[in-house]
Amino acid sequence: MNIRRTVCLGLLMLIMVISGCAGTTPTEKTKTLTLWYWNRSLDDDLIKAAEQQFPGIRIDAQKIGGDFKSKLKTTLAAGSGGPDIVAFNDWVAELFTSSDRFYDLYDLGAQQIEQDFLEWKWRLGVTPGGEMIALPIDTGPTALFYRADLFEEAGLPSDPDEVHEQLATWDQYFEAGQKLQEHFDNKVKMLDNINNIYNQVNAQSDRIYFNPDDTFIGDTADSSMKTAWDLAVKAAEMKLSANASTQSSEWNAAMNNGRIASFVGAVWMKEILMQAAPDTSGKWRVARGPGGDGNNGGSFLAIMKTSKYPQEAFDVIRWIQNPENQIQSFDKMNLFPSATKALDAPVMSKPEAFFGNQATGEIFSASAMNVKPAYFGGKHGNLNGIVSRELSSVALEGKNPDKAWNDALARVKKELLR
Amino acid sequence: MKNSMLNHPAPPEQKAVPSHPRPKHRLTSEIWKHRKEYLAISPFFIVFAIFGLFPIAFSMFLSFQKWDGIGEMTFNGLNNYQFMLTDPEFWKAVGNTLLIWVYSTIPMLFFALIIAFLLNAAFVRFRTFFRIGYFLPNVTSLVAVAIVFGTLFSNNYGLLNYVLSLFGIPSVEWLNKTWGIQLAVSVMVIWRWVGYNAIIYLAGLQSIPSVLYEAAKIDGASGIQAFFKITIPNLRPIILFTVITSTIGGMQVFTEPQVLVGNDGGVSGGGLTIVLYLYREAFVHNYFGYGAAVGWGMFVLIALFSILNWRMVQGKPSND
Repeated sequence: MNIRRTVCLGLLMLIMVISGCAGTTPTEKTKTLTLWYWNRSLDDDLIKAAEQQFPGIRIDAQKIGGDFKSKLKTTLAAGSGGPDIVAFNDWVAELFTSSDRFYDLYDLGAQQIEQDFLEWKWRLGVTPGGEMIALPIDTGPTALFYRADLFEEAGLPSDPDEVHEQLATWDQYFEAGQKLQEHFDNKVKMLDNINNIYNQVNAQSDRIYFNPDDTFIGDTADSSMKTAWDLAVKAAEMKLSANASTQSSEWNAAMNNGRIASFVGAVWMKEILMQAAPDTSGKWRVARGPGGDGNNGGSFLAIMKTSKYPQEAFDVIRWIQNPENQIQSFDKMNLFPSATKALDAPVMSKPEAFFGNQATGEIFSASAMNVKPAYFGGKHGNLNGIVSRELSSVALEGKNPDKAWNDALARVKKELLR
Repeated sequence: MKNSMLNHPAPPEQKAVPSHPRPKHRLTSEIWKHRKEYLAISPFFIVFAIFGLFPIAFSMFLSFQKWDGIGEMTFNGLNNYQFMLTDPEFWKAVGNTLLIWVYSTIPMLFFALIIAFLLNAAFVRFRTFFRIGYFLPNVTSLVAVAIVFGTLFSNNYGLLNYVLSLFGIPSVEWLNKTWGIQLAVSVMVIWRWVGYNAIIYLAGLQSIPSVLYEAAKIDGASGIQAFFKITIPNLRPIILFTVITSTIGGMQVFTEPQVLVGNDGGVSGGGLTIVLYLYREAFVHNYFGYGAAVGWGMFVLIALFSILNWRMVQGKPSND
């Protein structure tokens, strides 16, 4: 009895030791990097390929659903348990005040690849203090999406070059809109909503709300804030807007039913439009936007200070974002490159059936080359929200624009004191 | 009898109670004596302390701090409360919440009473089926409900506008109007909670003794008289309960406007309720200290309204 018990116990211990060994041996050799990103922000196949490229590194890629930014900030607040690599969206500047929580990529060798990237995009990931906390993924160059058939019917130019030439300024664009709406007896609207006008005018600017020292410049003459506001109000007064808010089912339906003839948007709107309006395939074109080129959106990758393998993490993201892989991501996922070399790749000249076989990549590339470097500041999103709410009141409830502007500015001033 | 009682010596129980030599340790020794029982009920209290008590205490502390959720907390004094009381958007949120509460609670409780009365009536068949049917909205996922209502009230291509167009009425941009958003949210609240309250009223109705109705009938009372003189007074405590629970619920409306019109509460913030405002300030704009202060502001508001309700529904103090 006693012997049997001892043997059993011995066997059990042996099993535990062996299984314990089996569990620990590989982790001593392979280094696991946890990656947080959201759906479609990176090419999943590329992440798998990175494991092949770097033997001994396992990438635990986790798609974080829901409100990504809130979840990231909660993790940062907890102080531990975060990933090694994390994706940021265009709210990267909101994390500048917490730059000590991320590795300065300049310390890990980012300088060597700086010249490969678009300068304005690269600078968005660098804090005013000169630390680089985020490596560019994709960009969101903006352009004018328009229905060539409707433009032609209304007697407007329909060829992308002509559209760019004749609708070069916002005022020309609005005038063309008036002409188009008269022709269609207001059954077709020129644009989707005036909040988008406000955002797109600011997207073309290098001075919006803040100086790099975080002083508010929205009430000065060289900031685009008031210009953007006035243009948005003008569009409302000319009744050019269909009042369909971006990324709503309303917007989708209006696009598919041909009730909206054009909108200015970033390259990633292509995907949204194609899914929203399959019935209009072949009728859309893309031209350089009225008022100039701009950028709206685009994401980044950062390495958290809690990571045990910062150098390995940097090598991996550097490889994932090299020009060849960016070209592949663009081809597969429509993630528009941030690497200059990728902008004149052959894939940019690929004709697209949805856009009547136009190669829209060429238009967006030209736009991307022309974007001015801007500084956003940590409160950009909050301020945008305040102005956006007042603009909706103007557009939809007929609030007096001057009163709305004063209300917006008063609320902004209050916000800045918090 | 009376005499014998008076002549009785002091009750024996008084002597039977032993005096405690060490009253200080009485409580601890009592706890030790019943340690198994305390251990058995401890899970609730431990969980409550972690997930209930601590967050409440922490939010009190947080409401006096300035904190973006990541960086250092700094003491902010009463600034959060001051900002709250002087922020027009906060008062707009309070106003919206009260409006939505009035739009939803009054019709909801009215319909619930009617449904309960009908379910209680003798002529209704398949009662269980109806009870389940009316209760079902309450257990449906709120986000799914909001999405469905979003398509019903959709500005141009919604079902509601389609129905209007059948009668030649021009379509209404429901979700582009303050009143439209508030109406949609209220309808959603009514749809979701009417069955729940009806079931509670039904239980109340069934507890009213039928002798009262029989006596009224014999005295020649009409059905309407019976309803107002017997049903309503007897239901008063139940009505008070439903009014208070729907006040607390109504003050906390969040998911409906959030899914329907987004974090900003839609056009001119028509759907911006207090909780949505709290959520936006804390989790979208990262003012966590301020969010905590708004939470305590809401606490005061709910407490005030609960007391007010109590007074109103309770009526005069026990005269009848």
